[in-house]
Amino acid sequence: MNDRALVFDGIGQDFPSPGQRNKVRVLDGISFDVEHGKFVAVIGPSGCGKSTLLQMAAGLLMPTRGAVHHRGRKICAINTEVGFVPQQAQLFPWKTLAENVELPLLLRGVASDERRERVASALNSVGLKGFEQHFPSQLSGGMQKRGSIARTLVYRPDIILMDEPFGALDAQTRMVMQSDLQALSMEAGATVIFVTHDITEAVLLADHVVVLSQRPSRLLANIPIDLPRPRNMFEPFRNSGFEAAYDAVWTEFRSQLDTGRVH
Amino acid sequence: MTDTAYGTPAGDATARGGLAAIAARPLQWLLKLLPGIALLLFWQWASGRLIKEIYVSKPTAVAERLYELFASGEIYPHLWTTGQELVFGYVIGVAGGVVGGYALGRSPRLSRIFEPYVMAFYGIPKIALAPLFIIWFGIGMGSKIALAAIMVFFLVFYNVFAGVRNVDRELVNLTLIMGANQRQLTWHVFLPAAAPYVMLGMRLAIPYSVIGVIVGEFTSSAQGLGLFIHEASSTYDPAGVFAGIVILLAFVTVANILAGRLERRLLRWRALSGAGPADI
Repeated sequence: MNDRALVFDGIGQDFPSPGQRNKVRVLDGISFDVEHGKFVAVIGPSGCGKSTLLQMAAGLLMPTRGAVHHRGRKICAINTEVGFVPQQAQLFPWKTLAENVELPLLLRGVASDERRERVASALNSVGLKGFEQHFPSQLSGGMQKRGSIARTLVYRPDIILMDEPFGALDAQTRMVMQSDLQALSMEAGATVIFVTHDITEAVLLADHVVVLSQRPSRLLANIPIDLPRPRNMFEPFRNSGFEAAYDAVWTEFRSQLDTGRVH
Repeated sequence: MTDTAYGTPAGDATARGGLAAIAARPLQWLLKLLPGIALLLFWQWASGRLIKEIYVSKPTAVAERLYELFASGEIYPHLWTTGQELVFGYVIGVAGGVVGGYALGRSPRLSRIFEPYVMAFYGIPKIALAPLFIIWFGIGMGSKIALAAIMVFFLVFYNVFAGVRNVDRELVNLTLIMGANQRQLTWHVFLPAAAPYVMLGMRLAIPYSVIGVIVGEFTSSAQGLGLFIHEASSTYDPAGVFAGIVILLAFVTVANILAGRLERRLLRWRALSGAGPADI
């Protein structure tokens, strides 16, 4: 019907707060669309409810007000058509890397020949070939993260939800991962929603950057980023137009930081 | 200090380190056995010198007694009875504990209702139930199996309950998003996540099953190691008492070794860590 994969429509969310009778309003009337094949970054100060939006898209949480629509269908149960890449890699420690990546296919009843093929190609695409029989505890943080991404890519979800996936990685690993993620998502034509608190990361990866305010969060801006791809993740300033794009996001974002420290 | 030790290129430190590595395993075994051997030697020496032999017997007498018991075949009916009671009591207790702990761990509603009851029953000294169990289940194996099973049950129950409740919620949610139904969730997430707790409960339960069975046999029975020990002690036969205890020790040791094997097999993923590559 149209090319909108996901629609957030007037989302509001209240959470009960400990020791108080009134509920805390976390999200307040947030609306934006995610088009097919687009990479959308959601950015906002910590505690503003960015992750909450992802949980709603996955059907883990129902919004207090408003609704999330996936391909025109209102989400009201666990949404198995999305893939979720959490902050920690969350591989199953009792399964080998290959078994981890195979699990979604197994759960979905894919035949064993096809499973083997798809696991091999997913591991290959994230550069983990040769580590199939390793347990997660035998892998480094970055490798676990790659495994987690492979486990999501392997079942080709309609939308990939990523919750600050690179937040816990060191700076070098992070740049490499960002670059690989760009390549993978371009190749797969994937629709991605990527939550982060890092402006540079958001600008480099995304087609659109959604900026949220402090609690109770409102949508401050939905900024298109028109930098040509592939973008250089290692030297952000070498991308022509990067400064202007960064500035556009920063202008919106700076008002949300502690004004005493920002000059 | 540390600096100089690191700095020594090929002196004493490395030579000693190499030797230590070669001798490490036998040496450790020797160190482990040493206190036991010392205890046995002291016992042998003290018996008849510091304490009357009629009170404490002595290791050689116990060994002799064990040999007689097995050579004459006198002990086999007792062994067979107690062995069956232990195995059945243990297996029933573990199975009940795993099923009960799992059911309550998975269902917050059930656990809200039943947890206080289980908690209250947990507090009962099960040994006090022994006479009642004899009345309920008879003088035969039934009462001993029941006593051992109930002691094992609570230990395993609590461990499994805690294990299932501690499963990372995010991991469960991820698996649901991947498309798991409840049965798959049980099989791929909850059971393996609870496995270390199940193993812990099973190991802790081994000595308790022995206590349950022996207390039951002490209270009233027609056959079994507990009866044998009880009779030996009431006829002033310390060698017989210790012989019975040595057999129980052997039981527990073998059970521990088997549990250790099972644990290594089931929890292979836990033992392997930090041995991997460390690049990106």
